[in-house]
Amino acid sequence: MESSLHLTRRQLFARTTLGLGTAALGELLGASSQGAPHFAPRAKRVIFLHQSGGPSQLDLFDPKPGLRKLFGSELPDSIRRGQRITGMTSGQKSLPVAPSVFEFKQHGKSGQWLSELLPYTARQADRIAIVRSIHTDAINHDPAITFIHSGSQQPGRPSLGSWVSYGLGSENQNLPAFVVLLSLSNTPNNDQPLFSRLWGAGFLPSSYQGVRFRAGADAVLYLHNPDGLSRETRRAMLDSVEKLNRMRSQASGDPEIETRIAQFEMAYRMQASVPELTDLSKEPASTFEMYGEDARRPGTYAANCLLARRLAERGVRFIQLYHRGWDQHGELPSHIRMQCKGTDQASAALVADLDRRGLLADTLVVWGGEFGRTVYCQGKLTETNYGRDHHPRNFAWWLAGGGIQGGQTIGETDDFSYNVTTDPVHVHDMQATILHCLGIDHTKLTYKFQGRWFRLTDVHGNLVKRLV
Amino acid sequence: MIPGLLLAALPLAAVTFNRDVRPVLSDNCFSCHGPDEKARMAGLRLDTRDGLLSRVKPGDPAASPLYQRISHANQAMRMPPVASARTLTPQQTGAIRQWITEGAKWETHWSYLAPVRPDPPKVKNRRWVRNPIDQFVLARLEQEGLAPSPEASRETLLRRVTLDLTGLPPAQAEMDAFLADRSADAYSKAVNRLLESPHYGEKMALHWLDLARYADSHGYHIDPHRDMWPWRDWVIQSFNRNQRFDEFVVEQVAGDLLPGATQQQKLASGFNRNHMINFEGGAIPEEYQTEYVIDRVETTSNVFLGMTMGCARCHDHKYDPISQRDFYRFFAFFNGIPEKGLDGTAGNAAPFLFLTSSGQEQEMDALRGDIKQRKEAFKEKEIAGAQAEWEKGWKEPALVTAGILAHWEFDGSLADSSGGYRHARMPGREPEFVAGVLGKSLSFGEGSFVTLGRIAVPRNGTVSMWFKHTTDKELPVLQGGGLSIRSVDVEYVPDRKLGAQLEIATAEGTWRTKDRFLFNQWVHLVWHTGSLHIDGKPAPLVRTGGGRAVDGPVEVRGFRGQMDDVRLYGRALAAEEIDALAALHPAGNVIGIESAKRSKEDKDRLRAYFLARAAPAAMRGQHAEIERLDARLFHLEHLIPSTMVMQEMEKPRDTFILGRGDYRNKGEKVTPAVPAALPPLPGGAPANRLGLARWLVSPDHPLTARVTVNRFWQNFFGVGLVKTSEDFGSQGEAPSNQALLDWLASELVASGWDVKAMQRLIVMSAAYRQSSRVSPALLERDPENRLLARGPRFRLQAELVRDAALAASGLLSQDVGGRSVLPYQPPGLWEEMAFGGTFSMQAYKLSEGRDLYRRSMYTFWKRTVPPAQMAAFDAPDREKCTSRRPVTNTPLQALIQMNDPTYVEAARELAARTIRTAGPDPARRLQWSFRQVVGRAPDAAELEVLRESVDRQMAIYRADPASAAKLIAVGSSKPDAAMAPAELAAWTTVASMILQLDEAITKE
Repeated sequence: MESSLHLTRRQLFARTTLGLGTAALGELLGASSQGAPHFAPRAKRVIFLHQSGGPSQLDLFDPKPGLRKLFGSELPDSIRRGQRITGMTSGQKSLPVAPSVFEFKQHGKSGQWLSELLPYTARQADRIAIVRSIHTDAINHDPAITFIHSGSQQPGRPSLGSWVSYGLGSENQNLPAFVVLLSLSNTPNNDQPLFSRLWGAGFLPSSYQGVRFRAGADAVLYLHNPDGLSRETRRAMLDSVEKLNRMRSQASGDPEIETRIAQFEMAYRMQASVPELTDLSKEPASTFEMYGEDARRPGTYAANCLLARRLAERGVRFIQLYHRGWDQHGELPSHIRMQCKGTDQASAALVADLDRRGLLADTLVVWGGEFGRTVYCQGKLTETNYGRDHHPRNFAWWLAGGGIQGGQTIGETDDFSYNVTTDPVHVHDMQATILHCLGIDHTKLTYKFQGRWFRLTDVHGNLVKRLV
Repeated sequence: MIPGLLLAALPLAAVTFNRDVRPVLSDNCFSCHGPDEKARMAGLRLDTRDGLLSRVKPGDPAASPLYQRISHANQAMRMPPVASARTLTPQQTGAIRQWITEGAKWETHWSYLAPVRPDPPKVKNRRWVRNPIDQFVLARLEQEGLAPSPEASRETLLRRVTLDLTGLPPAQAEMDAFLADRSADAYSKAVNRLLESPHYGEKMALHWLDLARYADSHGYHIDPHRDMWPWRDWVIQSFNRNQRFDEFVVEQVAGDLLPGATQQQKLASGFNRNHMINFEGGAIPEEYQTEYVIDRVETTSNVFLGMTMGCARCHDHKYDPISQRDFYRFFAFFNGIPEKGLDGTAGNAAPFLFLTSSGQEQEMDALRGDIKQRKEAFKEKEIAGAQAEWEKGWKEPALVTAGILAHWEFDGSLADSSGGYRHARMPGREPEFVAGVLGKSLSFGEGSFVTLGRIAVPRNGTVSMWFKHTTDKELPVLQGGGLSIRSVDVEYVPDRKLGAQLEIATAEGTWRTKDRFLFNQWVHLVWHTGSLHIDGKPAPLVRTGGGRAVDGPVEVRGFRGQMDDVRLYGRALAAEEIDALAALHPAGNVIGIESAKRSKEDKDRLRAYFLARAAPAAMRGQHAEIERLDARLFHLEHLIPSTMVMQEMEKPRDTFILGRGDYRNKGEKVTPAVPAALPPLPGGAPANRLGLARWLVSPDHPLTARVTVNRFWQNFFGVGLVKTSEDFGSQGEAPSNQALLDWLASELVASGWDVKAMQRLIVMSAAYRQSSRVSPALLERDPENRLLARGPRFRLQAELVRDAALAASGLLSQDVGGRSVLPYQPPGLWEEMAFGGTFSMQAYKLSEGRDLYRRSMYTFWKRTVPPAQMAAFDAPDREKCTSRRPVTNTPLQALIQMNDPTYVEAARELAARTIRTAGPDPARRLQWSFRQVVGRAPDAAELEVLRESVDRQMAIYRADPASAAKLIAVGSSKPDAAMAPAELAAWTTVASMILQLDEAITKE
């Protein structure tokens, strides 16, 4: 989306023609002096399907059939190694092993292991790359999800999507570059809360923040003209306001007024482009067969996946979904079933649909949460029921499209899915890899704030070469 | 890149180390050759005189290793290395070369030397000068060969200074009086009037709140409310009474430690409690307690010192002389607070101060002591023992079955267990059963719909049910069979939690409960014609209307939440029976559960029952007394506002250097001290926050006064004399006019830290009074107006955009201070992201009446979802200290101005005011409303455009009265019924256009 800082683009261009280096001017804006993309991108855009709450890798992606024998036995100290655990289970007298009640099978030509909870995703096995060995530094939701999306556990940094829109700008003149879609849990628990900092601009100019698209008539806040004010009347009013603004522009000499005129025009265009985007009435029945009937209900995860595809088609750079309900401290077997029923089909449909339309090649799809879940049971363990606490030491994501080599699983964990044994991938490594797919060198996308050149990955992060 | 370099013609006339060389070295070299000892390469540091000059031969760049390396032809040898991703521009290497050629004169970093009051320089155009500020500004302009701009028009000037000093546009009467006052000191009198306005303190506080990261919620995770508004009001009042700035600082940093500290001084120390606070389940307390202290260090160093000390949390600062040890010694000043790492579930986190009047404090203290003592005397073991005994002897209460018509237990099925075969049905979806009060309960999600049965509730019949209402909306609870139960009038009950009244309608009448039940908690209800029991106790009712027929089957349609044990009887129930349903059965149900399998909710319910009803008499008496005292304390605590404050522990926490800034990696133990590179605490000063506070405002401190006047300057001119107002260190920008900055700083101190005098000095200057009109040539030369050859022109900050529209419309409430309010915001913005449950401020409940139109600084600031209109106009999220806001220009802002009901309603009220005030002539109306918004009359061409709009829009709404009626109905205030709707609608659109003008939201 166009925007302007204190210096407008026109001023910048004017200065550039005077022979001053663009790099110098970039710095004056606090902008990076390293133009992105830094190399040929594989992905032009990202769809990040964040599964908020921390989905259980043990019940979805990381089969440990050997644990059945160890049902109820104590987690060995040799595995726990004194690692910190949350205040919710640190007081438990026992940390009994809770094997998954779900069956795993191999799928596709690649033979990737997936649990029975994900039948639709399983059919995309050859398109997705599963990473089982992601680890994070945080053990609670707020710091962990903030870490995934801003590279820091504590607030104050720009979000991934805002870094990308700052680095690469928009490909669409009628829609924002960074769009956020939220959906609620499929279980009776609505955990966990979300925070606008997750799509905030941090210290980047606020125009890079994500724009929340909401279910219902006003997908973008204040999109619609008030009742009783027609589009024709609005057009006439804007024309007159423009005339008046242009007179003031002449009188004051301030180029910012021209920018404001352009922003009002874009607002007017969005009043048409956004309803066109969110109107699913012209989608054929086959779309809903693919995504599921839930996709007809605005605000569901399925509807948001479908919207994500439509946003991708229109060139929106970063599409961020958040789906709540994965924080299964108790009643995990029944709740994860509900949660998968509400998400599996649509996630898989998105991948297949993008592929069918030729968009998958340059759209990176990322599926994952802020951490995984413990092998030991939280609360009462029975043959059929258990809960799992937060587990930061290994968890699983899948990625597809946008330069990702599908049909492979990266990383292994020990017999308890408690520690990474091969190919550890830190959150900063995933961030570096996502940026890499977009043609961005994560060490070069920087912004000077409080005297320091900040970047998404702080001073860390390595590209996961096997993924790309 | 620094403007000095940018603005000056190239090549530079003369380079100075601090302006032209140090910033280049700092940004490109210091991270490996600077203060951070661990990161230092080749043992070389370039941030000290000795280190740098060891690599320089003055006068001879070619023989200087520094220059050799930065200009080396071989890329592998050239500094900075490729891997650093840093490169020097030809201008930068040129500046270093020139500096060496000119003798390589070293200068200590400018901001660490105390300012020496400079004499105002001589200028040629002495007639332009109004006060010493102008001499500094003009001297620079004359040096650059530029002339100042002429003075702004009187209209522009009054609007500018009124916006700057009060945040509001001038009223037309004020404008008229000013224009009519032709005396030489008319402007001076206007400034004096504005400085005495109660809104002056609001405007000054507005900037302070960003620095102090003020908010009305805790910010992390569940993000419930806090009450820091008494502190916010203290800031407003401090500015209004023109408290000396040094006192203002001391009270905020250490008001609690002042000898004989007053309540107000303690309250002021809340500055350092505005940081975010967490209580996420499972979080580790020490981790967060550490974060709070780090935030205090970052905020204190940024606000008062213009230093980025946060960089030294993990390692020595890369650019400035702040070691990691310095950081943790500074940290130690703020580490002795009796706070908990996890706190804030119910509003303010300890320590906090009740703003009591005399007597209340003693009563609260006495109550707390009494309760504590009684609770200690109340031994858990004894209670548990007595309870176990009692449980053994428990006899199942009689089932209340006589006259039962239907009974839905929802224990995993929809069956009617009364024997009447009235099974409930849930068409189209699987019922979902979750833990309830008596076994399981039925859960109602979006679109859930249950038909309980084709049965009428007889006139003398009774309904009994448990329900938990989980949304914040008014909902139908139960409908049909002659009865309607709804939740109505959702409102905050104590602690900013939501609840609602119940409205019950039958053919006999309509009633409402006087009290509200709380959402997200189980509530038991028994209804029998005109009488209601809630949780077993009679609930007072008010009859609100006549009867109405509620036919059809008994249904639950549209309810969200859970229901359990719903019963219909064909008769009235006796008191014992109601008691059995509300209390005995649930208790018995818990007893029926094996004790290891009881949930916490089950256990609490049973314990409460036992202590209230079944325990031995002495125990019951003790319990009742504690309950009574608790209730009294709760009442006092919710009657009296509180605010979080600083306080010292009797035995302070030890402070350690934390490796990589991680609370788990404790290193050397340290004691409080100020950074070694700055002047020490004066001899005899205590090494605590009070010593620190007094040190900050000691007259010869190099930073505090400079940082402060720079921020004042930034408020008026958009950019400070040091643009990086948060960073006066090596990576910050050198001042565009250091002599002016130093003079202002010394003036502030010399005036006795007189804040109003400083504001007055700035706005009285000729520099401030210049027209902001800019020529293309000057714009090219100085796009950011750093040389000040013109007046400031920039968009108003977020709060003032909205305030200006409300002020023009006459809707604005001018009340100062008080609890934060909840003006218009699209529904669901909070709820879609919130945790919910029984925590406060999870749901947005619109304020009413005047509270919809308070100044924007009083809008409830929820950190995880900041007010939508503010966030779109660049307001920070208030998670961290913010020293300056960006100014962006986006279509989302345009949409707000076009369609937000705030602006549509304001346009209608502006239109109505115009019609009332300016008479029937359209030209006069346009002049009046235009002037009302932008402070000046439209010229002929502008008037012409507006006239066309009036005619066009009048025709549209005359032809379409239905649309006119809709448009003028926007907002909660009512349109003036005496006005013709079409005319009002047409003028509403015209007013809306005027409010959308760039000029309307711009300070010129």
